[in-house]
Amino acid sequence: MATLRDIKRRIVGVKNTQQITKAMKMVAAARLRKAQENMINARPYSRKISEMLTSLLKVETHFNHPLLEEREVKRIALVVVTSDRGLCGGFNMNAIKTALDLMQDEYLTYLRDGNLDLYCIGKKANDFFKQKEYEIRESHLGVFGSDLNYEFAASFINSVRERFENGEIDKVVIVFNEFRSVVQQTIITKQLLPVLPDKSDTLEEENLNVEYIYEPDKTKIIGTLIPKYLNAQMWHALLESYAAELGARMTAMDMATENAKEMIRSLQLTYNKERQAAITTEILEIVGGANALKEG
Amino acid sequence: MKELTLEIVTPSKVSFRGMVKSITVPGTEGSFQVLFNHAPIISSLDIGVVKIVDTEGNEKKYSCSGGTVEVLKNQILLLAESFESKDEIDVDRAKDALNRAKKRLSRKNEEEVDLTRAEASLQRAVNRLKLTGNAKFM
Repeated sequence: MATLRDIKRRIVGVKNTQQITKAMKMVAAARLRKAQENMINARPYSRKISEMLTSLLKVETHFNHPLLEEREVKRIALVVVTSDRGLCGGFNMNAIKTALDLMQDEYLTYLRDGNLDLYCIGKKANDFFKQKEYEIRESHLGVFGSDLNYEFAASFINSVRERFENGEIDKVVIVFNEFRSVVQQTIITKQLLPVLPDKSDTLEEENLNVEYIYEPDKTKIIGTLIPKYLNAQMWHALLESYAAELGARMTAMDMATENAKEMIRSLQLTYNKERQAAITTEILEIVGGANALKEG
Repeated sequence: MKELTLEIVTPSKVSFRGMVKSITVPGTEGSFQVLFNHAPIISSLDIGVVKIVDTEGNEKKYSCSGGTVEVLKNQILLLAESFESKDEIDVDRAKDALNRAKKRLSRKNEEEVDLTRAEASLQRAVNRLKLTGNAKFM
């Protein structure tokens, strides 16, 4: 049976852990606010650019751009977005598992023939796939944090885009966590290339009949818009994933703190019971001893 | 009131929203000015300087590294990859970028250098430095 001192030591240990989880929760909460702000600030840009592209593509229906063209898929690229750090519940595993399911199921033939390029963003995906001995084409670590920037998103997707344009890869799919709420993340699997413009009809029809002046011309404008649209999508995915990571960490650390509290409570109860029992035994011994003396 | 509504949106935020008298943008086919009752236009933009004249008639310059502009019914929407006023420009960073781009361009014969990208970053740096009056470093 555990002695009083052992229980005391355990209580101290759990309390220390609780302090750490509590602090981590606070830090995640503070960062989450900033990340959410960034996400909201980025929204107008991606919305406007997608609106502009969609309306242009509606006007110009007979239009073929290499980035829009579906072609026979010989080689596929899969981008997995995870975090660099753990302690955020199922956040990373969910993304990794979704990617793995894709690789083992839909893209199995590509994987088997070595026609699948794996791009890992975040240390966790890199570590996992490296350990399982998958071939990783590129890994980007240390992307997230306060220095998460648009330039990274743009330069990363540009290099992928160049490979697509050169015909090295024929399809690009991204897997990332979307921020639903602080406690909820959803895994999104989305095709980045060839570009699938937003099909939703949120546009005002009247604007379609306006005779615009196009400088230089429609096709060239669409040609410059598509890469920008792609950049915005990649940027959006990174922002979502970062906010989702912080949300997941906050929830996980909150739960850990709660569990520690419960554990301390039950340990304290055992401690008190033990202490009470020890005192009772002691009193009994003293009384017994005194009685023995009296009788003698 | 001969004023236009202007909205400038970048990937990181909405940089500007308000009424202006005119705006001059670096269009791909040449710089052009948008005044009241301008015809509907969609134009792509080059790296360059955006000049905004506000309702009081004050002119202010910004650096812009490419984007798209749409003018419709006196509403201007400018989508820019980056949009900074003189004070927002990080001069040291622009200088670093300039030197890096120069170095890369000077090595173009020796190793594989992505020319278009190096040139674009050179242009962006030059544009930023010009606006802040640091042209002497070039």
